[in-house]
Amino acid sequence: MENIYSMFEVAFLRKNRWQLYFKGLGVTLQIAVFASLIGILIGTVVALMKLSRNRKGKGTVFTAIATIYIDIIRGTPSVLQLLIMWFVIMKSCSNGILVASLSFGINSGAYVAEIIRAGILAVDPGQTEAGRSLGLSSFQTLRYIVLPQAFKNALPPLCNEFITLLKETAIVGYVALADLTRVANQVSTATYEAFMPLIGAAVIYFVVIKILSTLFGILERRLRQGDSR
Amino acid sequence: MIVVKDLHKYFGDNEVLRGINYEIDKGEKIVIVGPSGSGKSTFLRCLNLLEIPTSGQIWMEGVEITDRHTDINRIRRKMGMVFQHFNLFNNLTIMGNITLAPVKLGLMGQEEAKETAVGLLTRVGLLDKADAYPGQLSGGQKQRIAIVRSLAMNPDVMLFDEPTSALDPEMVGEVLEVMKELAESGMTMVCVTHEMGFAREVATKVLFMDAGNIQEENTPYEFFSNPKNPRLQDFLSKVL
Repeated sequence: MENIYSMFEVAFLRKNRWQLYFKGLGVTLQIAVFASLIGILIGTVVALMKLSRNRKGKGTVFTAIATIYIDIIRGTPSVLQLLIMWFVIMKSCSNGILVASLSFGINSGAYVAEIIRAGILAVDPGQTEAGRSLGLSSFQTLRYIVLPQAFKNALPPLCNEFITLLKETAIVGYVALADLTRVANQVSTATYEAFMPLIGAAVIYFVVIKILSTLFGILERRLRQGDSR
Repeated sequence: MIVVKDLHKYFGDNEVLRGINYEIDKGEKIVIVGPSGSGKSTFLRCLNLLEIPTSGQIWMEGVEITDRHTDINRIRRKMGMVFQHFNLFNNLTIMGNITLAPVKLGLMGQEEAKETAVGLLTRVGLLDKADAYPGQLSGGQKQRIAIVRSLAMNPDVMLFDEPTSALDPEMVGEVLEVMKELAESGMTMVCVTHEMGFAREVATKVLFMDAGNIQEENTPYEFFSNPKNPRLQDFLSKVL
């Protein structure tokens, strides 16, 4: 017992190390939140691009661009994308969190696009027909009828995607950003004691993700209020 | 009011409509019957361009809607459509369903649209459902709401695509009742249906479609008591 407390003391209390974890968590959360927002934005636009059709019902140039983007992002490791963003594309940018957020956001956008596309395809085409038959434009039909239902359909896999994203931010250690995982690693190196810092970081991730999934659950239930089918 | 000239529609290699010519005057109630696969729903859906005709022309109130440059959204405001599967907006309340289009298209303010909706809902006896969601209604109620939603746009013509085919038998009556009242109010109606009683009672003309064309057209009395086309005779012998 004595031993465990002293390990805890070394890992968290001595030299106010707990502040490091908090700062690390802050970095993790900032990147995750910005990246999610970017991901949703890109994902929605790309999903619509991929679903765009011309008068003859064939795909457009936007469909092709969207497909290429999704293929490239899904076809390369996200660590590599981060490194390329960091050391090549945004070499001169000194704001590490911005670079990481962009990199993860662009990565997540490809997955979110497919999630939202699936959500849109799951909406009964009759909904669109009804909207159009009332004289609404295709954009209005999308905006007021299809997308709200598509997002509701997409909520469970979106929650999944954000959880994955949050955990995947741990790879920013590769580019020397002090996120939660890296902080835990640094502490364990400094104290020659790996157990407490690593388990501690794991618990923090777990709690944050539990909160996130609970919030999504509440949101989902609220949006399902209307349908008792 | 609606003029159709040499209307053809292909799905792939399958010719579904084979050169339909027809004219619908204001105030008419056209009922279209025919076996499944005869193209009657496709014909109806071509009238507001939910299906794009492969060739041929359609005019609505003097405007050629098959012309690429016609703003079809503007035409559709004047053509209400009721679907077999209701297609109420699942994400909106009944009130939202009815007021969405008039408000977003700038035809009415929110308050005016609400008043209109209340009036129409009262007419079909569903005012108490204003705040319910579509998922909470029965099929018959949904279809009456769908009719009301179209009427809120104050259309010049109403298109019905088998409006009672997806309903439980005991709910067919309440929907037909609303449609009959609508007919009595002078609305121009085009209705694809299997309800022969409705056709006999309400229609000004009954059309028989088969193999992608109109095979016979007559007043309901002549249509049912004295069918000339052998395929129609066969059809009627099966459904009556």
